[in-house]
Formats: sequence, C-alpha cells, structure tokens
Amino acid sequence: MFRKCQCQLLDVDIWNVVPFTFSCFLFNSSSMRTCQTSRKLPCSDCVVKGCEDQIQHWKNVKGDYEVLEDRLKTLPDKVSYDIMVPFGPLAFMPGKLVHTNEITVLLGDNWFAKCSAKQAQMLVEHRKKHVQSALDDLHKTKKNFEARVGFTEDLEKLSDGKGGYVDIREELEGVVCKGKRRVSLKPHSKPKTEAIVKMEEEEEEEMLNAEGSKRGVLSEEELWARLDELEAQEQQEEELDRRFDSADTNGNDDTTSSSSEEEKDEEGDRPAERSKGGTTMPLNGSQVDRTALPPRDGGKEEQEDDEEDDGLPTIHFSHTVEPKKVRINTGKNTTLKFSEMKEQKQQAKRKKNNGTSNGHSHHGLHITSPTDIYRLFVDVKNGEPVPRKSILKSRSRENSVCSDTSESSAADFEERRTLGRSPSHDDNTYSDTGSAITEEDAPTGELPVPTSRFQAFSGTVVEKEPIPLSVPQLTIAPPALPTIPERKLEEVVPEAPQEAPQEAPKRVSKFKAARLQHKGP
Amino acid sequence: MAEAIQKKLQLGLEKYQQMQKDVSKSMSARQKLEAQVTENNIVKEELDLLDTQNTVYKLIGPVLVKQDLEEAKATVAKRLEYINGEIQRYEMLLKDMEKKSEQHREVLSSLQQEYQRAQGRAVGKV
Repeated sequence: MFRKCQCQLLDVDIWNVVPFTFSCFLFNSSSMRTCQTSRKLPCSDCVVKGCEDQIQHWKNVKGDYEVLEDRLKTLPDKVSYDIMVPFGPLAFMPGKLVHTNEITVLLGDNWFAKCSAKQAQMLVEHRKKHVQSALDDLHKTKKNFEARVGFTEDLEKLSDGKGGYVDIREELEGVVCKGKRRVSLKPHSKPKTEAIVKMEEEEEEEMLNAEGSKRGVLSEEELWARLDELEAQEQQEEELDRRFDSADTNGNDDTTSSSSEEEKDEEGDRPAERSKGGTTMPLNGSQVDRTALPPRDGGKEEQEDDEEDDGLPTIHFSHTVEPKKVRINTGKNTTLKFSEMKEQKQQAKRKKNNGTSNGHSHHGLHITSPTDIYRLFVDVKNGEPVPRKSILKSRSRENSVCSDTSESSAADFEERRTLGRSPSHDDNTYSDTGSAITEEDAPTGELPVPTSRFQAFSGTVVEKEPIPLSVPQLTIAPPALPTIPERKLEEVVPEAPQEAPQEAPKRVSKFKAARLQHKGP
Repeated sequence: MAEAIQKKLQLGLEKYQQMQKDVSKSMSARQKLEAQVTENNIVKEELDLLDTQNTVYKLIGPVLVKQDLEEAKATVAKRLEYINGEIQRYEMLLKDMEKKSEQHREVLSSLQQEYQRAQGRAVGKV
C-alpha cells in the first residue's frame, strides 16, 4: 500500500510503502511445493519447520497490517503534520505531511487506487482476512505433520534404547521343523503372509512394552524383510518336508511311541518327533521368533535388559517345552495349515474355557500329548478322579478332517473307528477351543487302559458307538478343561509344559496312541 | 555386451534427467501462474470494494496511468481468465511429461537389469 503525501517544502512526493506480501507468501508456498516434489516423501520434520517459518512470516505481516490500520485511523485527524522527511539513506529534513486523507493503495499486479483513509482501512481489513485464512491453513498442515514427527521421535527412542523399549529375543538352537508342514494350496498363497502378518501382530501383542505396536506401525521395511526371511525359511522347511514325506509312517510311529512314553518323560524324543511330524511350526514360536521353534527342554532363560548392539535392552526368552501344533479341523473348513487366526481363536477360547484351571501347575509333570493333559487334569469327585469332559464337537467331523490323510493313513482311520478312542478324551480335552476337533473319540474298549493310565476314567464314559456318545460326552463335559497355556508370554514355568500337549499329537499320533493303548497296557 | 548396455543405460539416464528437469520447469511455471491467480483475485475483490469516485491507476513502467474503474475491473477479469487458461495448459503438459518420464523410468530399470545380468554373466565367464 502506498501512501503518497506531499511535502510542502520540497514538493517531493514521499511514498510510504507497505510491501505487498502476498507474492511472498505464494512464493514460499511454491517453494514448499518444490521441496515436496523434489523428494518423493517430504520429511515430516522439514514440513513442520517450513510450516512454522510460514506461520511466523504471516504473523509478521498481520502485525504490519495492524500497525497500518492504526496509522490510517489517526492520520486524518490533522490536516497536515510536521515531520522529519527522510532524505536519502542518511539524512532527514523537516517537512510537512499533507493530503492526509488521500491514500494511494497498491491493489496488486501494478494496479493502484486512490482512496480515502477509511476506504484504505476497509482494504486493509480485507487483506487481513486473507492473511488469517493462510495462517489457519498453515496451522492445520502443521498439526497433521506433527503427528508424523511424533512417530519418528518414537522410532528414535526405540533405536536409542531408551524410553523403556525392550527387545525380547528368543534364540533358537537350530532345530529343524519336524514333521509335515502344512502345504499351502497355492505357492504364494495368502496364508503365509497372513501368518506372517498375524505373527507380527502376535509379536506386537506379546512385546512387553508398546514397542511391538510401534514397531508394527513403524517398520514397514522390517516387515518386508521378515516376510522375505520367513519365505526363505518356509522353502527350507518344504524341502525338509519332502525329505520326510516318505518317513510319514515312521513319524507316526515315533509320535505314538512318544505318546506312550509320555510318562517316561523322554524329551529327547520330542525333537525326533518334531522333526518328522510337526505342523506349522512358525506358529509355535509366536512369541518372538517366527521360524521353526525348537522344543526347549528345561527352564526358561530370561536375561533382563541385556544391552544389545542396537542399544535396545533385550530380554532373552526361551520356551521350556514347545507345544507341537496339531492340525485342527473345523467342521467345514478343514484347514491344512495351522493358521494364526485359528490359533488366536483357540487361544481365546481356551482362555475362556480354562479360566479356572489357569493356575494349574504340573509340578514337573511332562505333557507330550493331549492324553497327558487328560490324565493330569482331573476333577476329584467323591474321592475319585473324574475325567474332565471334552468340549469338542461331534466325532462325525473327524471324517471331514483335514486332508493331510497322508499322515493318517487309511488304516489309522479305520482303526479309529473300530478301536474306539481311548485317547479320545485326552484329545478332546486337549484343545479347549470348541472349534477344534480332534479325531479322538471316546474310548470304547480302551477304558480299562486309560483308567489304568490316568486314573481319570472311572469307566463312566464308555463309548461303544462313537458318534452318538461323543455328543453327549461333549455336552456333559464340564466347561473347565485343563488349561491350554497360551503361547503368549508364559512366564510361569509350570505352565510351560502345558503348551506341549496340545499340539504335540498329530492326528496320526492320536490314533496311533489309541492303537498303542489298545495294544499296550 | 555389457559396455553397450552401459552406454545405453547412460543415455537413458541422461534423457530421464532431462525429462525430470522439464517437468520441474513446467511445475514451477505453473506455481507462478497460481500465485498470479491469487493476486489477481485479490485485486478484483478490492476493486469491487471501491467506488467510481476513487481514481484507479495502472503502473506502466515508471508511469502511473489513470484508468477507469470499470475498465480496470474488466482488465483484471480478462487477465484472470487468461491465467486460468494457462494453468490448464500447463497441467496438461505436466501430465504428459509425467507419463513420459514414467515410461522412460521403466525402460531404464529394464536396461539396468539387463546390465546387471550381463555383468553377472561376465563375472561368471571370468
């Protein structure tokens, strides 16, 4: 805005100029834009700083306009003012300010308008509106990007090892995933990535601090790297599976033998079992490691707050006994792969169902198969141990079970039917989730065997016809079933062994176990 | 073989850089135009606030030339239209250039892969 006043003395026009600042603003915004275009992703930090600079600039402009407004208000008070007129950069000379109501305003783009002080005031008000709107926009953008900056700060904290973030690591001892792994139907099927993603989620949940969630949110690259790792591992495991495919029956025998050896608590067999027959192992290690988790015998090791190279305190974590995963069959969807979703569901259900029995401790008892669980977790009624009822669904679903019948040979299948299911209870109780169905059925002629083994069966449950009885069994079964320990942060040692039994017996193994029980004791 | 690919790669790279420069040029031109649009909008609004009693001047070089208010308004409106048209034109240009640069980027990446393969082969041979 130009203010022209005539100096009477020297007849010089003096211009008071308030710079037209809009162009500056526009240039600045364009510079911001160029900043953005030059990089693919503008760093939120620099955006925030740019916003702050802009805001400061616009605040200055606003201040200038306010001063100008005040001046315009007071200027017409007098007809003329005595002033010291600047004469070049170094000198002043006395003069007068006249035509105090005539203001020549720069409208922009080389347009001028002569107006009165009041009209000039109106124009100033109009411009102040623009400035205010620009300021508001800048504030909004600043807010939006400040959030992002917060994330980056958290990431920094993470990497510095401060801020209470703890890294939990579990070291594997190079145990190969044993047993058959579920083959994804398609080579690059979703379940894999789903599993990985879910595992990521589980990891996040299980992390002690919010680190996990932060990591999940922040480290996309880490996720991708992990995906690649996992894929490589899966390929390795597939190769192993191919090798072990032929040894299916052997694997079965091993598992059954291991189940029979449960009481002896030979944990040395477990590795052998697992190398052959395991289901998707990655899910076992849901806590920390995605790869095949080795069964860990012995206590957990926890080293609190180890300082790692990356500066994060780490907690080294190891499982005592890794549960073997069992293929779980739902009624309709026979899933080959033990998906994380199912596992979570099951865990949730287990939590529900086993709320009471969570505090069980095995006192050193080792559980390698559901049979063990059933054996161990018994209610004592009237001085007699009464086996707990399974909540599994009807047996009819067994037949619709997952198609990895390669493991469960046809022979086994028939055996199941004919022999009845001595370990059925065990397996029934194994998975506390209602959705999980094991192939075990109620024992028929096996009752004496289980009773001798478990003391759980008082012979009350005799199933001569598998299907009909299984249903009532299930209905009668008390809701409380032995706790299937979650694979989440299980820090209680006694509960650790609980993990093993659920997944330990494969389908095949259960029937093998049944058979063995028939044959054995 | 690898050298030929390398040369091709270099040429491609230069071409791509040139295209990027063009894109950024038109981008900055467009931004200037946008600034002008805003300015002229404000002028238009302020002219509307005035009445015919106020004399309007236009700065042409060192001279302030008196203008009619209505005339000034019309001029400003025309200029606004012109600037908007220019912006549209530049938008189209920008789009085309971006497409071209994308295509060229793909070509470059394929060239790069070829080059790496050739290098691998050379290493293997050696």
